[in-house]
Amino acid sequence: MDRQRRAGLLFVLPALVYFCLVFLVPLIQSIVWSFYRSVPGGTSTFVGLRLYHKVLSDPTFWQAVGNTVTLVLLSVPATVALALAAALGLHRFRSLRWRSACTAMYFLPFSVSLVAAALIWQWIYDPVYGFLNHLIGFAGLPPRKWLQSLELVLPSLALVNVWVRLGFDTIIFLAALQAIPGEYYEAAGIDGASRSQMLRHVTLPLLNPQIVMVSILELIFNFKVFDTVYATTQGGPASASQTVIMLLYDTAFKYFRLGDASVMALFVFLSLLLVTLLQWRLFRRQVEY
Amino acid sequence: MRRGALMILAAVLSAAMLLTVPGPAQTKKLVFWTHWEQNPEFNKFYETRGKEFAQKHGYEVEVVTVPYQGYEAKYLAALVGKSGAPDIFMGMTHHWCGQYDFCDKMPADLAKTWDENLPKYMVSVGKWKGARYGIPIEHGNFQQMYINADMFKKAGLNPDQPPKTLDEWLAAMKKLTILDAKGEPTQVGFALRHKGHPVGITDKFLPFAHAYGARMLSPDLEKATGFANSPEMVAALQFYSDLVLKYKVASLSFPTPEDAFGQKRAAVIFRESWFFGWVRKNAPEVTFKVYALPCGKTCPGAGNLFPWTNLVYKNSPNKQAAWEFMRFISNPKDDLDQHQAQGILPVWTVNLESAYVKSRPDYNSTREMLRQPVPPEYYHPKSNELATAFGEAVVAVIYGKGEPKPLLDGAAAKMDRILKD
Repeated sequence: MDRQRRAGLLFVLPALVYFCLVFLVPLIQSIVWSFYRSVPGGTSTFVGLRLYHKVLSDPTFWQAVGNTVTLVLLSVPATVALALAAALGLHRFRSLRWRSACTAMYFLPFSVSLVAAALIWQWIYDPVYGFLNHLIGFAGLPPRKWLQSLELVLPSLALVNVWVRLGFDTIIFLAALQAIPGEYYEAAGIDGASRSQMLRHVTLPLLNPQIVMVSILELIFNFKVFDTVYATTQGGPASASQTVIMLLYDTAFKYFRLGDASVMALFVFLSLLLVTLLQWRLFRRQVEY
Repeated sequence: MRRGALMILAAVLSAAMLLTVPGPAQTKKLVFWTHWEQNPEFNKFYETRGKEFAQKHGYEVEVVTVPYQGYEAKYLAALVGKSGAPDIFMGMTHHWCGQYDFCDKMPADLAKTWDENLPKYMVSVGKWKGARYGIPIEHGNFQQMYINADMFKKAGLNPDQPPKTLDEWLAAMKKLTILDAKGEPTQVGFALRHKGHPVGITDKFLPFAHAYGARMLSPDLEKATGFANSPEMVAALQFYSDLVLKYKVASLSFPTPEDAFGQKRAAVIFRESWFFGWVRKNAPEVTFKVYALPCGKTCPGAGNLFPWTNLVYKNSPNKQAAWEFMRFISNPKDDLDQHQAQGILPVWTVNLESAYVKSRPDYNSTREMLRQPVPPEYYHPKSNELATAFGEAVVAVIYGKGEPKPLLDGAAAKMDRILKD
């Protein structure tokens, strides 16, 4: 191996070691455990595919999958659309100072710990003292139970996720918008394009890599969401907000069924991998400035 | 250059000497993990007595308080990993010694001491398959009825004559509930647990089930169908859900039961013996009294889902010292001092008639509850999973997702699958 290759290998080695220890080893361990009925501190028995059959035929598991998908569908498009709108708005600011101040405000929730954000929103959603009910009271609307309602719990949690993630996505879009050369808009203007046409035919196609990336990141974040659900509803009421990761956590660490939990972990991993690859394949466009 | 090298050499030699010269004898540590974060004085007691223990045995005690939320994961990781695991830890015997094999069996003489000095209903706490592993640490870990005396008076009820039966209790709850113009309660009679993990929901519902003569599992803990969905259980759950949906004497809009009681939004709560300390600290303006739970077909009695004990880790290199420490504090005086410091009930039978216990507001109610028949116990290794399946049905009914019978049938079938698995 020549010197340059060796240097390259040394540069990537820390990341490679980290990846192996934190991701690869647990992944392999999960695959192995999914075939064993294991008792921590005790013996493990090989059970073949029995745990796969058990988990995948359990209605509780599919209800959790359904809740997770609903949460993803409520959160991801809203976050991406709102972040794009916010970035477009911020991009129009002429004053750099105001743009920076507003960007920082958008970004602030992202820097808050998820548990803290969940607790803040728990107070906002409180049916008795909550700010939100107080607010809708001004409009003459009746108070809602939000997190304690079977129908509203998932939209309420989706709103928390949107609030938390909006700033991060906005920053990415804003950076991408700033990288689009102004000449494209000038040329479009000379050709008589309206603003909406410029958005549709210049901005959005050039933002495609960022839109795809942000959508994938949001999909992964929302599919794996745990902290906010755990801190606010613990999967309730009546399992209406129990996500796959919540169920996985309970299965592993409350019921101590590590084999069953490993099957769920693999399901999450493979689902995300599949959807991400599909998204990448279907929506990714090559962009050159 | 040579001078510099000499100085470095001298520094290295000095450091080496410092490292090799024997210092004063070092005290070793017993690491104690607990998740009773609400009882800091109780936990501190181990460290205080640990200092005295160190003088005799050379081991101090270091208490690590692990947050209750998710404590199982942290315990499990440490106990499986062995390194970084505690010498002593707090937990439920049927989980850590039954479902798992993490516990050291208690020395026979110490086990005898505990067996002889526990209240009758607690003797099984800390045991797995007849052998004692754990030291029970919480007496009064069963629900009692806390009432807001002022709210009772305001509703025309006598706080010194609490409801004794479920019928009387329901009538009182109706009087204590205030509805707004839209028919929604602004004040409720009963602070009902409707949030959080289903295990907690089950725990709070079981006294009603037991008062109806129902039980969650068969006596041998091997079957749920016929028990979790028995006619008595269905009737109990119907009564429980009627409190919310029909009579509106309990509300799903209210916060946790403790907060609702502390904020004077609920007049009655069923809680364990530690709760009066909580009220005094967090809602000192609430005047309350404590009574035994009302009875139905039978009385709910002193039972619980969470029999907390102190356990010794079987792979601990210090397990002998850990047992010595346990022996060191296994006496009536330490039992009283430790529990009194936190304001909770002591465990030793002899202390149940101490001046401290007699001065507590729950003295009479505790005695009355202990006189009632011991309710069913569910100390099964899969109790968390079973209680979750059951609690999911309970919470589904109170949220109006279905009728008690089909939901309990489903829960019982699921519980049987868990038991067979």
